[in-house]
Amino acid sequence: MSSSAVMRTEKLQKVYRTGATETPALRGVDLELEEREFTATAGPSGSGKSTLLHLLGGLDRPTDGEIYLDGRAMSGLSKDELARLRLTRIGFVFQAYNLIPVLTVVENTAFVLELQGIPYRERIRRARAILAELRVDKYADQFPNRLSGGEQQRVAVARAVVSDPAIVLADEPTANLDTKTSLDLIDLMRRMNEEHETTFLFATHDTRLLDRVDRVIHLEDGRIARDERVR
Amino acid sequence: MKVALRHLVRNRRRTLLTLLAVLIPVYFLVFMFGFANANLRDMFETATRFDTGHAQIRAVPTKATGSAIPLMRDPSDALAALAEVKEIEWWTVRLDLPAMASVGERSRTIYVRGIVPEEVDPVSGLADRIVAGESLATGTGGVVVGEELALLLKLEVGDEIVLLGAHPEAALGAIRAPVVGVYRAPEAALGRTVIYADLSTARQLARSETAATAIVLRVAGVTGPGDQTALDRAVNDLRANLPAGYEVQDWLELVPMVATYMGILTPALLIVGAIFFALGGLVVLNTIYLSVLERTRELGLILALGAARRRVVRMILAEAGAIAVAGAVGGAVTGVGLILVVEAFGGIPLWGAAAQMMREIGMSPVLHLSANFVQVALSTASMTAVAVLAAWWPARRASRLEPMEAMRYVE
Ligand SMILES: Nc1ncnc2c1ncn2[C@@H]1O[C@H](COP(=O)(O)OP(=O)(O)OP(=O)(O)O)[C@@H](O)[C@H]1O
Ligand SMILES: [Mg+2]
Repeated sequence: MSSSAVMRTEKLQKVYRTGATETPALRGVDLELEEREFTATAGPSGSGKSTLLHLLGGLDRPTDGEIYLDGRAMSGLSKDELARLRLTRIGFVFQAYNLIPVLTVVENTAFVLELQGIPYRERIRRARAILAELRVDKYADQFPNRLSGGEQQRVAVARAVVSDPAIVLADEPTANLDTKTSLDLIDLMRRMNEEHETTFLFATHDTRLLDRVDRVIHLEDGRIARDERVR
Repeated sequence: MKVALRHLVRNRRRTLLTLLAVLIPVYFLVFMFGFANANLRDMFETATRFDTGHAQIRAVPTKATGSAIPLMRDPSDALAALAEVKEIEWWTVRLDLPAMASVGERSRTIYVRGIVPEEVDPVSGLADRIVAGESLATGTGGVVVGEELALLLKLEVGDEIVLLGAHPEAALGAIRAPVVGVYRAPEAALGRTVIYADLSTARQLARSETAATAIVLRVAGVTGPGDQTALDRAVNDLRANLPAGYEVQDWLELVPMVATYMGILTPALLIVGAIFFALGGLVVLNTIYLSVLERTRELGLILALGAARRRVVRMILAEAGAIAVAGAVGGAVTGVGLILVVEAFGGIPLWGAAAQMMREIGMSPVLHLSANFVQVALSTASMTAVAVLAAWWPARRASRLEPMEAMRYVE
């Protein structure tokens, strides 16, 4: 076990139960994510990418197995402790509906800092700085519905990295974007990864994005089919 | 909290409706309490000034006297005792006698009320109520009759009336007295039955120089129906001072109808208020519930990002609280405002049958309103509390959402 692993899973399993039917989504995943790694997880629809990200992000609990964040097991945490962990250690970028419509771009970005109790001036300053890095600072005082899909996702990335989390988890952040915008977004994420030394793990269908990452974890049917280091 | 307030602004129509749902009950209650306050004060003023005083000293009945008040042969010992109770700021001796009044072929059972006019007038305003002829003056031997009785007996100022005293404890006396004036009673029943006479005239009817039926009192610091504690204290002091054979009754004991009315009014208003509050609360619950439902995805996001459940509850309660405070304060302000406007114009005058009916039951035909700070504050605070409580359940539900399920929610 490497000492620089941010996140590690052991025999991670997830079975969804809806009524009498059981859907195994993850069937034993062992995985280590190193600090500063920029990793993609790819695989066909239904292979378990989203499930994996949700479990890693503490949004759902595994049926079996264990997840360690910063070397600490997550299974022992209460619901509130998990929320606290998400707030302070994990950044999220979702496929859509990332932003709160009644808050401006800068307020959205500063929202997690607000939840952390960081004073107004400080959080707004930090939010504006990140927005500038992601080149969306000119929209800072607009409401999200005025922004294009790509711009909204950039704001979501800003919000995910602004609190300096241990890891940013992004579930198909480019699913609703065209190719060029998708590549731009991945490049910006990459820049954040390099400049802020933040670990990234994102899920995607899009194979064209995969030559921009350090490592690709191929999932198939709830198992790791291939784990390749690209660079 | 910004999110909560922005949602209120964004959903103006719904916010406004909810605001009204909170505003109206408070407005209504403030107004109704205002009406009841003025109404009670009106009853208090009429009863205590014109009829009962704040309290009366009477003789303890030794035998059944029917509708007649027991006779005090000579109340000078009671008057001496009374002078030592400093809270009593005013008093007068009165002699109420059941009597037969007869004019020509017509006669009626009435009461002769013997008073000391110069003592009674400044308090009761009897002199101002004279509609024909003139008021009573000491030592003139004339009487003043009510409008209603004048009509019944076809009496006019200047006519002579024969009075036959019929108090079971007094000797039978008869006098012939000129009608010097006609008064308008605050209550029709009084006008039909009470004939005012000078105390000495009434005493002729009872064939006694010193007889009385009551010493009518007013107590310092008692200005309205809410001053019962001060009144009770004075009454108790007086009781302790009085010689045996006397008792003290306060105005509520003397006009039990008002006591009954007071006893019913407040609970009735509270019940109506509670129903309004409950309805207001349900509207708030419904609005906040809808607002939570509509925002399921957003709440999911907020929870996913790691907001504490407590925080989500607080956010939604803040939203409800803002509406509640604005609505309740708005209701109080408009309610009190309306009361002030109505009073600035001198109240709401009633006319026709309604005015007549008010007179029948001894109430002023002009409706007045008066706001009471404690009632307004309590109404406002309770409605706010009810509204925030009503938001509690949807708020709790919102905080218990599973973030990922909520984010998948499509309305
Ligand atoms: N909430 C759920 N309840 C029941 N079954 C679920 C749930 N979420 C996912 N599944 C099932 O688990 C399996 C893995 O789904 P998951 O969403 O993780 O795949 P994915 O790789 O993200 O697919 P996609 O590329 O379509 O997003 C699928 O068979 C899916 O139907
Ligand atoms: Mg998925």
